[in-house]
Amino acid sequence: MYELLDALINGRLGLGWPGWAVALLGHVAVATLLFLVAPVQMLFFTYYERRAIARMQDRIGPNRVGPEGIWQPIADGVKMFTKEDIVPAAADRYVHLLAPIVVVAPTMFMFAVVPWGPGMVPVDLNVGLLFFFAISSISAVGLMMAGWASNNKFALLGAMRAVAQMVSYEIPAVLSLIAIVMLTGTLSVVQIVAAQGGLVISTADLPGVPDVGLGWFIFTPVGLLACLCFFIAALAEGERTPFDIPEADSEIVAGYMTEYSGMKFGLFYLAQYVLNFLLCAITAVVFCGGWQGPGVGWLAAQGLSPANPDGSWVFNLFAGMLGVFYFLAKTYFFFFVMIWARGAFPRLRVDQLMDFGWKFLIPLTLVNVVSAAVWVGITRWGPEEGLDFTAQWSPLLRWGVAFALTMAINVVAYLTLARLYAAAQAARGRVDLEELVGSVPTSA
Amino acid sequence: MAIERGNVIIVERGRRKERLPGSGLLEGMAVVWRHWQGSFRKNRSFSQIHGTFTLEYPEERPKLPEAYRNMPILLYDEETGHELCTSCFQCQRICPPQVIHMTQAKDPATGKPVPAVAEFVIEYDACMSCGFCAEVCPFDAIKMDHEFELSTADHGSLTVAKEQLNRPIGYYERIAPTMWAEVREQALKKLQGNIKRRPGVLGMAPNLAEKIAARLRELATTAPVEAAPTTPPGPSAPAGRLSPEEKAARLAAIRARNDAAPADAPPPPAPAGARDGHGEPAPSDVPPAVNPADAKAARLAAIRARNAARAQEQAPPEPPAPPASRARTDEPEG
Ligand code: SF4
Ligand code: SF4
Repeated sequence: MYELLDALINGRLGLGWPGWAVALLGHVAVATLLFLVAPVQMLFFTYYERRAIARMQDRIGPNRVGPEGIWQPIADGVKMFTKEDIVPAAADRYVHLLAPIVVVAPTMFMFAVVPWGPGMVPVDLNVGLLFFFAISSISAVGLMMAGWASNNKFALLGAMRAVAQMVSYEIPAVLSLIAIVMLTGTLSVVQIVAAQGGLVISTADLPGVPDVGLGWFIFTPVGLLACLCFFIAALAEGERTPFDIPEADSEIVAGYMTEYSGMKFGLFYLAQYVLNFLLCAITAVVFCGGWQGPGVGWLAAQGLSPANPDGSWVFNLFAGMLGVFYFLAKTYFFFFVMIWARGAFPRLRVDQLMDFGWKFLIPLTLVNVVSAAVWVGITRWGPEEGLDFTAQWSPLLRWGVAFALTMAINVVAYLTLARLYAAAQAARGRVDLEELVGSVPTSA
Repeated sequence: MAIERGNVIIVERGRRKERLPGSGLLEGMAVVWRHWQGSFRKNRSFSQIHGTFTLEYPEERPKLPEAYRNMPILLYDEETGHELCTSCFQCQRICPPQVIHMTQAKDPATGKPVPAVAEFVIEYDACMSCGFCAEVCPFDAIKMDHEFELSTADHGSLTVAKEQLNRPIGYYERIAPTMWAEVREQALKKLQGNIKRRPGVLGMAPNLAEKIAARLRELATTAPVEAAPTTPPGPSAPAGRLSPEEKAARLAAIRARNDAAPADAPPPPAPAGARDGHGEPAPSDVPPAVNPADAKAARLAAIRARNAARAQEQAPPEPPAPPASRARTDEPEG
C-alpha cells in the first residue's frame, strides 16, 4: 500500500508529500477498509449460520427478506439499532458501557495481521501470530467487565465461565501453533503462508516439488493434529456450541450478555462473529495455506513486483482476486464445520470442558510439539547441528522417514491419551456416583 | 459423606464396545451431514426423516383434513333460503367459554317462539375452537370452518353476528364432503320439518334478499288463506307466554282426552304422550304393567281418543286451530 500510494502521490502527481504522511494515509485507508469488511463478514456469517443450521435441522431458515433472505441480517441490524438501551439501576454505568467496546476493539486489531491474498496484509509483523493471540485474550477482560458491571449473578457466572474457558483453551491453541512455528521457524503470518507452496509436500521440505500452492501443513501428521487441536480450542475460544458454556441459555440466560440490550448487545454479537471469522481465518491461514492455491503463485509471478518490473498489473489484480477467493473459501469452509459441530453436539458441562482441555488437549499438543521437533530434525538438520546419519539420505527419503515417524508418534499418543482420558472420566463418574448413592454396583 | 438427593437410578448400559476414540463424534457429525444433504429436497412424507419439512406458508397451503376445525359457522340451505338453526340453545349451553349468544325468533303476530334464530353472535376472540357446538347441534346447523387467517387489528370485528356466520350448505359440502354426506339426509329432513313451522320469512338467511322477496310475494298471493289464522281475535300475548286462548284450547284438549281415556281403554295412555315426540305432558307417569300387545292397543286407543277430542274441540267456533297445534309442539319453551 505504501509503495503504491508513494508512487501515485509523489511519483505520478508529484505532490512531494513526506513519507510519514503517505504512510498515514495508507494505513488509514486500509483500516477503514477493514472496519467496513469486518461487520459485513459478521452480517454474512449470521445469515450463513442460520441458513446452514436450518438445513441440518430439516428446515429452510430465513428466506423472506430479499432473494433467499440475504438481507435478513440487515433487517436484524435495523432491529438492533432501534431497540431500547437498558442499563440496570444497580449496574456500574461506566464499566457497563465500556465492556462491549473492550470486547470489540481487540477483534478489530486482530485483522491487522491476517493476510487476505498475496501481498495483501495490513501489517506484516514479524511476531504476527503472537500479536494475534495476545490481542485476542484482551477480550477476556471485556467479558469480565461486562459480567461484573451488570451486577447480575447470571452475568457474573457467565463471565467467570468465559474467562476460565478462554484462559484454559488459549494454551492448547498456542501450543498447536508452536508446532507450526517450529516447522517454519517464523512467527510472521505472511511467511507461514509462503512456506505452504508445493503439492502435498511443501517446497520447504522438498525443494523439487512443483509449486501449485498445495503444500499445506494439514497434509503432514504434525500439521493435521495441530489443526484438529487448534480448531477444537478455537471452538472454545469463540464460544461455539459444544463449548458455548459462558452463554448457555438454558442455564444462565445469556451469560455475560444478560443485562445488555440494543446496540450494546449488538456489539457483543459483532465481536463474537468477527472473532469466529478470525479464528476460522487463522486456521485457514496457518494450516491450510491461506490464499495459497493452484494458480495464485503463477499469477503473482507474472505480476508487477520489484523482482519482475516488466510484469503487468492485471496479473497482480487476478492473483489478488484468486487469493482472496481461496482464503475466503477456506474460511467459510471452517465456519461451516463450526456450524456442523453446533448441529451435531450438545453442550459440555463446565468440568467436562476443563477436563478435556487440561487432561487431553494440552498433553496431545505437547506431544505434537515433540513430533514437530522430530520433523524438523530429520528434514532440516545436518552435520552442522550434529545430526550425521541423515546426511546421505535423499530429501524424499528424509521426508518419508519424518512423515512415518511423526505419524507413529502422533497416533500412539492419541490412542494412549484417549484411553487414559476415558479411564479418568470413568473413574470420575464412579466417584460422582459414590457420592450420590454411597456404593456402586461392581458389575458396572 | 453421602449426599441425600432422593432416588438415584443407575442405568446399566453394558460394557462399551472398543472403538477408535473419537469415532462417536464422527458418527454424530455423519448423521447431521446426511440431514444437511437430504434437506435440499422437499419432504412431504412423514415416514421419512430426511428432507425439508417446512411448508412455505403463504405460497404453499396446507391441505387441511376434513375434520380440521377452526371457528364455528352457521349453515343455510341455498334452495329454500332457510337457516338450519332452530335456536335450540344446545350450543350456547355447551360452549365452555360461553361465547355463543342468541335470541330466538318470535312470530310477530302471536309473539310465540318459532324454531328459528333471530340473532346469533359468536365471540371469535374467545372461542377456543373446541368444536363442541358443532358436535352437540341436533340440526347440523353449526359447523367448524376451515378459514384460519383471522388475525386483525380490529378487536371488535371478532364479535361475529349471524350475517357473517352464515354460509351456504354447499360451502360446507366443499370443505368437508364426507362429513356432510353422513348427516345430509337427516339434516335436510329436519329442516323441512322446521320450515313448516316458520311463519312468513322467519328463519331465512338475511343475505338472500331476492329469495326473501320472492317468498314475500308468494305469501302475498296466498294472503287471504293465510291471513285468517294468523290474525286471531284479541291482542297477541307477551313474549314467551301462552295466550289465554291457547291455554284454554290446551286445557280443553287434555280434559277431553282424560275423559275419553277411561271409556276407551283401561290402561292409562301414559306412553302415548312420551312416545309421539310432541312433548305433550303425560297425564300419568305410571308405567303400565301389561304385555306389549296390550300396551300397543292401549296406545292406539289413546291416539284415537285424542283425535276425537281434538275434533270436538275444533268444532266450537274457536277459530285459531293452527296456533293450537303449534302451542303443543313448542311446549318446552312455553
Ligand atoms: S368451538 Fe367451542 S368455544 Fe368455540 S363457539 Fe363452539 S363450543 Fe364455543
Ligand atoms: S346452532 Fe344448532 S345447537 Fe345451536 S341453537 Fe342452532 S340448532 Fe341449536
